[in-house]
Amino acid sequence: MKNFEDKKNKALKVLSGQKDSKLVTYLNSCVHCGLCAESCIYYLTTKNEQFIPTRKIELISSIYRRYCTFTGKHFPELTNARQLDEALTDEMVDQLFGACTLCGRCTKHCSIGIDITYLVREGRKMLSEMGLVPATLQSTVNAALQTGNNMSIPTEEFTDTLSWLEEELKDEVNDPNASIPLNVPNVNILYTLNPREPKFFPLSISAMVKIFYAAKESWTLSTSMYDVTNYAYYTSNNDEAKIIAQRLYDEVLKLNAKRCVLAECGHGSRAFRWEGPNYLQRTYPFEVLTSVELLADYISRGKLKLNKEKNKELITLHDPCNLVREGGIIDQQRYVLKHSASNFIEMTPSGTDNYCCGGGGGQLSMSEYNERRMKIAEIKADQIRKTGASIVVTPCHNCIDQLIQIENKFKLGVQIKTLSEIVADAIVLE
Amino acid sequence: MTLYKTISLTAFLICLIILTYHFIRLIRLGSPKDYSSKRGNLKSAISYSLTGAMNPLKKESAYLHFPTYTAGLLYHSGTFICFALFFLFLFNIGFANSIQWILIFVLIASGLSGLGIFIKRITVKKLRHLSNPDDYISNLLVTGFQIFTLVMLVKETFSPYYFIFVSLLFLYLPLGKLKHSIYFFAARYHLGFFYGWRGIWPLKSHGQIK
Repeated sequence: MKNFEDKKNKALKVLSGQKDSKLVTYLNSCVHCGLCAESCIYYLTTKNEQFIPTRKIELISSIYRRYCTFTGKHFPELTNARQLDEALTDEMVDQLFGACTLCGRCTKHCSIGIDITYLVREGRKMLSEMGLVPATLQSTVNAALQTGNNMSIPTEEFTDTLSWLEEELKDEVNDPNASIPLNVPNVNILYTLNPREPKFFPLSISAMVKIFYAAKESWTLSTSMYDVTNYAYYTSNNDEAKIIAQRLYDEVLKLNAKRCVLAECGHGSRAFRWEGPNYLQRTYPFEVLTSVELLADYISRGKLKLNKEKNKELITLHDPCNLVREGGIIDQQRYVLKHSASNFIEMTPSGTDNYCCGGGGGQLSMSEYNERRMKIAEIKADQIRKTGASIVVTPCHNCIDQLIQIENKFKLGVQIKTLSEIVADAIVLE
Repeated sequence: MTLYKTISLTAFLICLIILTYHFIRLIRLGSPKDYSSKRGNLKSAISYSLTGAMNPLKKESAYLHFPTYTAGLLYHSGTFICFALFFLFLFNIGFANSIQWILIFVLIASGLSGLGIFIKRITVKKLRHLSNPDDYISNLLVTGFQIFTLVMLVKETFSPYYFIFVSLLFLYLPLGKLKHSIYFFAARYHLGFFYGWRGIWPLKSHGQIK
């Protein structure tokens, strides 16, 4: 019991130890109008009231009211101010980890303007302080902390994969000097990867390597720190997130690269580009950009010669939430597709209103919620089906993984590709 | 000034002091310190958050629920009018007869809207599930405020009941969700700050190929 009390006090410090007015504002703002319900893929697919976004944040704000407000302390029944006990923490784990992809769609459409995703992450932070992160998700973080990448790929296996890909590159571009530079200092770009790429999707590395070759870029990969992901962003454990972000930060400085280019990974981009400086409490002395921005930049500056007739099939685009709605990369991927594919159709809705694929928020790591994850995927499957496209492009490896599972389950007859694969296919080598 | 008016003025001042405390707390806590490299324009994003982003065509919470959204707008407009009228009643400031009839018409519409929202909260299962006693009390107090104001417009002898009721409203306002009257603006500010920092707002496109 004392153990729970200790944990509880740690969790309550998340609510009381406010650094700015953001948390206290959002905790006091919800009017329970329930109009956010239809913005959430969990509610839309199940009609379960527990999944209404306001219901999820109510778990956190009811605790805040109970311990931090006059009304909640003295008249808890009036505002449904709840004691933080084990029953409530069970509910929080299920709702905040198991029923939210942190897609931010409810935030954008909230009638008041509450950053619901931010509050869910604060709730996850409370659970993290209590040691209640689902073990499946925590194991992904632990793998990154212990081995340097979230899939625990040994360096030898990684370099073997790269040397095989290098041989492929030489054949493809018909240049014996073509290479995949490793640990080269003083380059323009340090490129990162999602560990799923060397493990399961080496073709996306091939594509990006070919693009760098065609653009005559000065770049390198690091063999000691290449992982763009940061699953501690999902667990909201800022100490662990800081360790992971610090490693990439140190590697950019060690290799003295001018720019750090983040691979096609929504949460990884967010975690390093936007959250990383706050984890580290410092501004980066180098430029950070996503590979989507880099591709758009190459095309606009004429660094790539593309023939979009090489991609004739009907292509649609899935917008990753962290990159688009929460990261502002909205037009660049469309600009890239406009120049590299001849037949494109938008999903409805798209851009900042796009629906999550269902794989965000760490859902892909938490196998205990698999059934729920594939249930919410019905919306994405329907969106894809309505486009009639034969290829779905998305600049995010988490989304790729979920979309492949959607294709398997719903038999949509589509191929799932990264943006760089489409660009690489359209390249005309001179 | 009558005893009832004095009571209501005192209640108003208590309410104002508590809300001012909330406001000062927000100001003292300040904006988040963000170390990431800013991409957008904060001023225009915060301004957009309080204007363009509230456009009903931009928010599902509005365009998917147009009757509720319209009722909400009317209800809030009626509340603002009632607060203004409270001071006119308090200091015996009169106005033209024609304005009085317009106000009566507006307050009937806003009061009915408030009542409609209350009935919706009771009858819709999903909303019942989300509601706590404060949600019902807050609605009843504000809807009652509009009805009492309406009666005051046509029957001055109703004054004691009106001022006592308004006193109750002022004393309750800072205790529950009605304090969103302060936090709403802070929430819009923070959302504008967040989206503005990242260059997402003001939204130039929803993401359609050009």
